[in-house]
Amino acid sequence: MVLHHSPSLWRAARSRLWADRVGRYSLLVVIFYLALMGLVLGGALARNWNEPQALNYAPPRWFESDANRVVPPPQSLSVTDISVPLYGWRDPLEPNWSHWAQEVRLHPRQAPILATTRLLGADKWGRDVLDKVLQGTATSVWVGLIAAAVATLIGTLLGAVAGYLGRWTDDLLNGLYGILTAIPYLLLVFAVAAVFQKKGLVPLILILGLTGWTGVYRLIRAEYLKHREREYVLAAGALGASHIRRMGIHILPNVSHVILVQFSQNLVGFIKSEVILSFLGFGVPVSAVSWGSMLNEAQNELILGKWWQLVVTTLAMAIFVTALSLLTDALRDALDPRLSA
Amino acid sequence: MLTIWMDVGSRFFRGFGLFLFLGGGAGSVLALAAPISPKVLHVALGSAETGFDPVMTSDLNTAAVEQQLFESLLTYDYLARPVKLVPRLAATMPVVSNGGRTWRFTLKQGVYFSPDPVFHGQRREATSQDVVYTLMRFMDPRNRSPYKFLLDGRIVGLDERAELARHTGHFDYDSPVAGLEVVDRYTLVIHLKTADFNFGHAMAQPMMGVVAREVIEAYASDTASHPVGTGPYRLGNWVRAARIQLLRNPNYRDERWNFSPSQPADLSLVHQMEGKRIPQIDEIDLQIIEEPQSAWLSFARGELDILGIPAQFAPLALEGEQLRADWRTRGIRLERSVDPAISYYFINQQDPVLGGNQPEKIALRRAIFLAINDDEMIRVMAKGQAIRNAYPIPPGVAGYDPKYRSLLDYNPELANHLLDAYGFRRAPDGYRHLPDGGDLTVHYTTGLSSEDRELDEVMKKSMDRIGIHWMSDKRKFPDIIRAERQCLIQFRLSGWIADYPDGDNFMQLWYGPHIHENNASCYQDVEWDRLYEQSLTMPDSPQRDILYHRLARRLELQGVTKVSTSPLRNVLSQPWVEGFRVHPILPSVWEYLDLTSATTVETTQGER
Repeated sequence: MVLHHSPSLWRAARSRLWADRVGRYSLLVVIFYLALMGLVLGGALARNWNEPQALNYAPPRWFESDANRVVPPPQSLSVTDISVPLYGWRDPLEPNWSHWAQEVRLHPRQAPILATTRLLGADKWGRDVLDKVLQGTATSVWVGLIAAAVATLIGTLLGAVAGYLGRWTDDLLNGLYGILTAIPYLLLVFAVAAVFQKKGLVPLILILGLTGWTGVYRLIRAEYLKHREREYVLAAGALGASHIRRMGIHILPNVSHVILVQFSQNLVGFIKSEVILSFLGFGVPVSAVSWGSMLNEAQNELILGKWWQLVVTTLAMAIFVTALSLLTDALRDALDPRLSA
Repeated sequence: MLTIWMDVGSRFFRGFGLFLFLGGGAGSVLALAAPISPKVLHVALGSAETGFDPVMTSDLNTAAVEQQLFESLLTYDYLARPVKLVPRLAATMPVVSNGGRTWRFTLKQGVYFSPDPVFHGQRREATSQDVVYTLMRFMDPRNRSPYKFLLDGRIVGLDERAELARHTGHFDYDSPVAGLEVVDRYTLVIHLKTADFNFGHAMAQPMMGVVAREVIEAYASDTASHPVGTGPYRLGNWVRAARIQLLRNPNYRDERWNFSPSQPADLSLVHQMEGKRIPQIDEIDLQIIEEPQSAWLSFARGELDILGIPAQFAPLALEGEQLRADWRTRGIRLERSVDPAISYYFINQQDPVLGGNQPEKIALRRAIFLAINDDEMIRVMAKGQAIRNAYPIPPGVAGYDPKYRSLLDYNPELANHLLDAYGFRRAPDGYRHLPDGGDLTVHYTTGLSSEDRELDEVMKKSMDRIGIHWMSDKRKFPDIIRAERQCLIQFRLSGWIADYPDGDNFMQLWYGPHIHENNASCYQDVEWDRLYEQSLTMPDSPQRDILYHRLARRLELQGVTKVSTSPLRNVLSQPWVEGFRVHPILPSVWEYLDLTSATTVETTQGER
């Protein structure tokens, strides 16, 4: 017996994607960014982004000129003078205070010598813009990835339940969907942000994830509505497969390409949302840096003519978001051959 | 000053940028081409007004308008520096007797309120009875005046009257109060409970502007919309939170421009303005422009006359201490002065983690202050538009000491040694724990703006230097103030601008009984309070300065506060503005200005 082996959906999609030049290059770019993210999060790159490496607003190396050369500020390492008059009070920290003040005065530590230029310039605290943008890329992509995963998970679960079970479950979830989509997106995001009250990466991910699942929900529900009446599902039911099994094992693989496309679309959307939130001050905490917080800083710097942080951040973000959008399109084409035909 | 401080304070910690738009522009290009008649001053305010019943308002912009609508008994001389009290509604300076407890005021005669339907077409003269009524209103519980503290516990019999009103729900304005004695139509004697050398300053606040009782009662439900005063201007058209028009008060008396120069630069000013009738400008058109960039661009186009430069724009307008050359050639003038204000860090003394008087807690607080680099703050955050001032009293205020040396100047190494010595050991991650092993995290409170994020970055950096975990506590500004009053804020950078130019206005920020009011550090120390009370009985003098030095040093020794900077104020004015000089205390000086048409046309042509 000759087995006629037809390529699976995924294998076919992969070859179609690879055949698409735009899809191939954008996939490479996205992989490159993900690798960068991995290296930064793993601590191999840009670990010291928060340390001042150069003078405040040191310009990019290739842009230095007389006009924008930074001069080091006068050394103001004023060592506490232990002879300041106490005006008749007794210092509750004596004798420790005088002892250590004297010690520090006798053995002053050399202030680190800071560079006057960096490859891509420095920000207002003298932090390297290259390090910052690497760190910011990692944060933004990571937040986007996790938030997209959360949103896709919620959307898929609810969509599957609503579409498969129908009746009052469907009505209830559609009501929830209706309420959430009736509120303008950014307003909803701010409302959820106000509820969290706290800054941090986890709240940020939850804000995005909890508000962004509606698109996935709508599509997955429609898919399940369609699939639950298909013969293969009915056959599985006749063979005694439980509802959970029919939803998870039988239907899910057949709608997984929709999930994948939705995931990557959400990823693009969330990265942009994170930037907007951070730009407006709702985003990442001070101990982290993201594209949004860098752009937020850059708006004030631009007035002063310090454009490098803005340019570097914008480029990093534009390349990734464009590549990801193109990849999403290519993925959709690859996974749904009827569309490309 | 409660909300002036709130208003200014909020800007302080944001970026040290006081953008008080005290002046205005000479109108559109169309208006410039024609001779200016009537003269209109277009002014921008940085935030919306809060209504014009002086007893209820307390923000700087509203005070600027009220300064023009109403008149207090006293005011500050326009040119004298250091600032000097002079009579406004009073005919002469008050006669103070009985060791500073009896203040006798004589009012000017022929001072009339601006016209209003309430007066039925009659001219209504301001009398000493109106002053008494105005002062009483501050203590009426129904008015909830933010400036009650200026009179609280000072005037004989007035507190008792307020107490009675709290019980009966009705303030008795009709029967006389012992401390507010009306001698005749133009003479008033105020009896104080204790000697108070700052009472004259209280009587010079814009919110002490005199009102007429029949007006207040006729508009009882909405006094904030019907300001009727004796000032040089009256309210014209008013679109709330957008546009305020002030018109010359037709009943204003014949008041002449007569100020003595106090510095060489004043001479030309005096020459231009001397003997002119006040006010010269017919109309002041105030626009609310909240976005500093818009105001900045308007000024650059010549549509605004006078502009306090926001710190973020300072590098664009200034070359070092000088105005940019191309602006100088346009005839624009720069006035640069230090604000009578401080920004200071405080730590809540009642906080369970950072508070307390044990040596290790004091060491912890002092180490935190030592880790803050004030010079870097000035350079990076204030763009150089602030000076380092470690003394609680800023320049231009009685009691200021430029030679005062801080105990807590930037010294992170000393901070680290101290923390080591007092047992704040570092965990393997490099961050310290309390001596008993407990968790040590500093919560630093800021607002929500991008400048606040910069403050957060500075503080995070500072705390990293000494290995202390740091957490940002973000709140909206009114919430910050509320929490501060309840002693719930752990650590914050705050600001205070002088209500009146005396050191007492600043030292009271740490007075024990002012906890839940202005004492945000919630500091209570028997020794300190005793010395402070002693200083209250003294006029500005070297003896009082000695006390103030002791007070200031004790705040540092106990790790209560670190005074950081005093902001610089850079004010630009267009060439066609005459008679303009920045005043450190007065919220507005529009009645002393004039506009010339000649220079205006010349400049417009020059630009082409």
